[in-house]
Formats: sequence, C-alpha cells, structure tokens
Amino acid sequence: MSAQVRALVATHLYDRRRSVLAWGLPLGLMSAFIVAIFPSVEESLSKAIQGYPQGLKEAFGIGELSNVEQYLHAEMLSLIVPLAMGYLAVRAVASGLTGAAESGRLDVLLSAPLSRARVVAAGFLATAIELAEVLLVTGFLCGLGSLLAGAGLDAGRAAEGFADVWPLALLFAGFGAIAAGFSLRTSVVTGSVAGLLVAMYVIDLVGRLDTSLSGLRYFSVFKYYGNAIEDGIEPVAFLGVTLAACALAALGAWLFERRDLAA
Amino acid sequence: MTDVAAIETEALSKRYGRHRGIEDLSFEVRPGEVFGFLGPNGAGKTTTIRTLLDLIHPTSGSARIFGLDSRRDSVAIRARIGNLPGDFGFGRETPGGEAVRLLSRLRGIDGSARAAELAQRFRADLDRPLGQLSRGNRQKIGLILATFHRPELLILDEPTGGLDPLMQEEFLALIAEERERGAAVFLSSHELDEVQRVCDRVAIIRDGRLVAVERIDDLLGKARRRFTVELRDPAGLERLRSIPGVAELEIAGSRATFTAGGDLDSVVRELAGHHVVDLEATRPSLEQVFLGYYDEDEAG
Repeated sequence: MSAQVRALVATHLYDRRRSVLAWGLPLGLMSAFIVAIFPSVEESLSKAIQGYPQGLKEAFGIGELSNVEQYLHAEMLSLIVPLAMGYLAVRAVASGLTGAAESGRLDVLLSAPLSRARVVAAGFLATAIELAEVLLVTGFLCGLGSLLAGAGLDAGRAAEGFADVWPLALLFAGFGAIAAGFSLRTSVVTGSVAGLLVAMYVIDLVGRLDTSLSGLRYFSVFKYYGNAIEDGIEPVAFLGVTLAACALAALGAWLFERRDLAA
Repeated sequence: MTDVAAIETEALSKRYGRHRGIEDLSFEVRPGEVFGFLGPNGAGKTTTIRTLLDLIHPTSGSARIFGLDSRRDSVAIRARIGNLPGDFGFGRETPGGEAVRLLSRLRGIDGSARAAELAQRFRADLDRPLGQLSRGNRQKIGLILATFHRPELLILDEPTGGLDPLMQEEFLALIAEERERGAAVFLSSHELDEVQRVCDRVAIIRDGRLVAVERIDDLLGKARRRFTVELRDPAGLERLRSIPGVAELEIAGSRATFTAGGDLDSVVRELAGHHVVDLEATRPSLEQVFLGYYDEDEAG
C-alpha cells in the first residue's frame, strides 16, 4: 500500500472514529440483549415457531429456534445487522468521496500529487476496516451479553456469523464508489445505494417465498449470504462477494477518474 | 525553475451541456510572473482554474503546466503547484495542523517548520478545528496549505476573501516574495486594488472569453484619461467636440470635463491655442478600466 493511501486511510478512520461506537454499541447491545433473554424465552419460542407457516420460516431463516445461535441469526444476523452494515458501508465510502467533495476537502487533497483512484481506493479500504471494527465491537458485546447471562453462545460460531456480514456490507461500499462516479451529492449516493440494498433483500425474500421466482435471487447478494453462525462461513461465497466488492470499487475509481469534479 | 511557461493554454474551452463555461482561452503565464485573472462572478474564472487543475476536463483545447499536459500529467503537475480553492474547506472538525500533516504526507515532505513559520506570520491557529474558525482565519489555513511546500506555481482563487487589511498586506508581501523566489502566481481576484499592486499582467474574462491580456501599465496607458480644463474664453471649449477621440464632453461655464484616449496630441494642440486657467488629467484605476470593459459589453 502506498504511503499516500496509508495516510488517507488513517485520516479517514480518525475522522470516522465515533461511528465505530455509534454503530457498534447499539448493534452490540441489541445482540447482547437478544442472546441474554434467550434462556428465558426458549421454551415459549419453540412452541410459537411450530405454529409458523413453513414458507415464512424458510424466508426468514428460522427453521428452528432450538439454540441461542439460531435465535441470534433470526433476530439479528438475517436482517438487522446486514442491512445496518450495508447502509453504514455506503455512508462511510460516501463520506470519503462525495462528503469530501461537498466540504471542499477533495479540492485541497487533489492539489497534492495524488490520483483520484487512490482517493477511491483509500475510501474503500478505510470502509473495509471500519466495517470490521464495528462488527468486532458488535460481536464482542454480544459475546459479553451471553457470558453475563449464561446463554451459552458459541464464541467461534458467533464470530463466523458476524464476520460473514463483512463482505456483504463491503459490496455496498463498492456500489457506493460507483454511484460517486455519477453523482457528487452524498444524499443521492446513499439514497440510491440504500435503495439497492433494500431491493436486493426484498428480491431474495421473494425468491425464497415463491420457488417459481427463485431465479431472481441471482440478482441479489443475499443469495450468497447464508447462515454462517450455524453452517460456518462458505469460503467461496465469502471470497467471491469480497472480490466482487473490490471489482465494483475499481470500476468506481475508473468512473471517478473520468468525471468532472464541478464546483 | 525553467524557461518553460508556467501555464500555457490553447483555445481552452469547457461547456456544460448547452451552458457556456469558458471558450477559446489562450494565454501564457511565465515563471516568476504574477498574473491577475479578473472577471465578475460567473465569468469563468473558477472554471478556468478547475480545468487547469484537471478537476474538470476541457471540452476542447489544451492546457500545459510547465510543459506538461494538464490531463495526462496532472499528478506530476500537482507536485509542483500550490492551490487555494475559492471556497476553501477541509472538514469542520479538522484542525489546520492536521491538514498540514496530511498534505505533507501526501506530498512526501516535512512541511511542519515552514507551516509553523507561515502560521506565525499570518497569526493563524493550527490547533483549532476549522469549524471553530472565522472565515478569514480559515482562509489563512488555506493560504498555508497552498504555500507551505514552496510550489513553483501558485494558483489562488480569491485568496484574500475574509482577510483583514493587515493580513491582506501580509499576503501581498508573501506574493512578492514568491515572485522573488521565481515562482509564478495565477491570481484570480475581485480585489482590483491588490491586483494592481501586485500583478505584472492581467487577463480580463467576460462571459467565458478573454477580452484582454495586458501588462497592467499598458492596460492603464491605453485607457481613456479624464480631463478637467478651465479656459479664460469658454467659447473655445465647444471646439473640443470636433477633436477625434474626445468623448463625454460636459461644459459648465468656463470649465469642461471630457475623456480622451489614444494619441493626445490633438487635444494638447487645441488647448494650446487658448488661455488655459486650469488643467487636470487623471489616469483611471484598474477598477475603472475593468468596469469599462463591462460597460462596453452592456452597451452592446
């Protein structure tokens, strides 16, 4: 990594240091609460689940809620954490590109002998690190909650569950880089990519609910986001989505190099 | 420093769809020259600067900085220039010192000593976040970031906006020192008084096109002078109307005011035939010259 990219990444992480706690704390405390209450709701949940329609259980990945890992997946890792992290990813990458353009910082940075591609690369790398930090805080608090409540959460499996969110969220950072190649307005970039995030989730949900529409799921990254807390990380999907995110960021850098940075 | 032009543009144009940006700009800025770039808001000054910096791409034409192509060699070019954007910002929470450290790392230099020296000179606070500084104090940080690495070319867009008169003087002194050092300065400004004091040549841009590129002395020399004359015999004043080049003649009793440009010999000869009680000739300021270009435009 070049000294310029290292400098930009360090600055980006410093500027966004509060977001690690701003996002990690609520997600972590919520996850901790979920695992902490599991022992007390386990029995009633199992009875309730038996009454759920099969399609609904499949759609939301709640085949069974017989252990705390399944409960954590159903309550946090199947919906809230991936959507929140995807949104954080696009916010983070946009802050280094469109946010910098809006504040005037980009003009000053590009007075230095620095290519725009490096600015995009640094923003993407910093986002990847920020996502990992937030997931680490979230996972740590969740584990702490389990420990204090004696919920018996398997730390290794929980770690895999949270880690599996990382490439999925990073993919939306890649989409954010592409969107910045078309618009320098943060609201446009975050709005459009957040819309894509929700659309992909809905497409996957519809594909799972209606088998005749299952082919649609190939248009959603959620198809490749499994249930790592129970099944472990699928290395091919993990690497594939990570590489796709990097490819999107590279395309974003190419677009960003070619666009006008109008006043 | 080299003899290659610091900036050389050839038919540089930028259009935003159907909207005009700049059209066919051709000019040259030499090393060691302070070049003023004048025009009202929307005339195309900032578009020109952003095109030179490769922040926006020209629709046609070319710009070369130190002989390097502004698009293809933009990274190499930016190693040799300092830029103060018109609307300087760097994020509200970043202290100036942090910005200096980041820019130093991006440039691969240690500019802390020079930045501290400039901060002392401009009484700039490098420790407070930029969001807590007044516009003038933020502008000082922008000036430090543009100059701390001793660039060969300074591109400054409205550099003294918000600076108090003392700091404006300090800024002009700094520009003079940069010129002494051999650096070229491209100064876009509304402050015609400071342009007149510090610039060697100026370009005037109107509706995206250059209407004049001249040495300041030549520009002022060509400009129409304003005369006030008092003759013992007022009847002689009417004869001034027939002299080529005389305009805006107003007669009040034995006094007349008028403007005259170009060769003044015929005016002097005419007045010499009368008993002149009083005569005053004033050169216009750069501001009046500048406004003259725009009055001509409005007049059609």
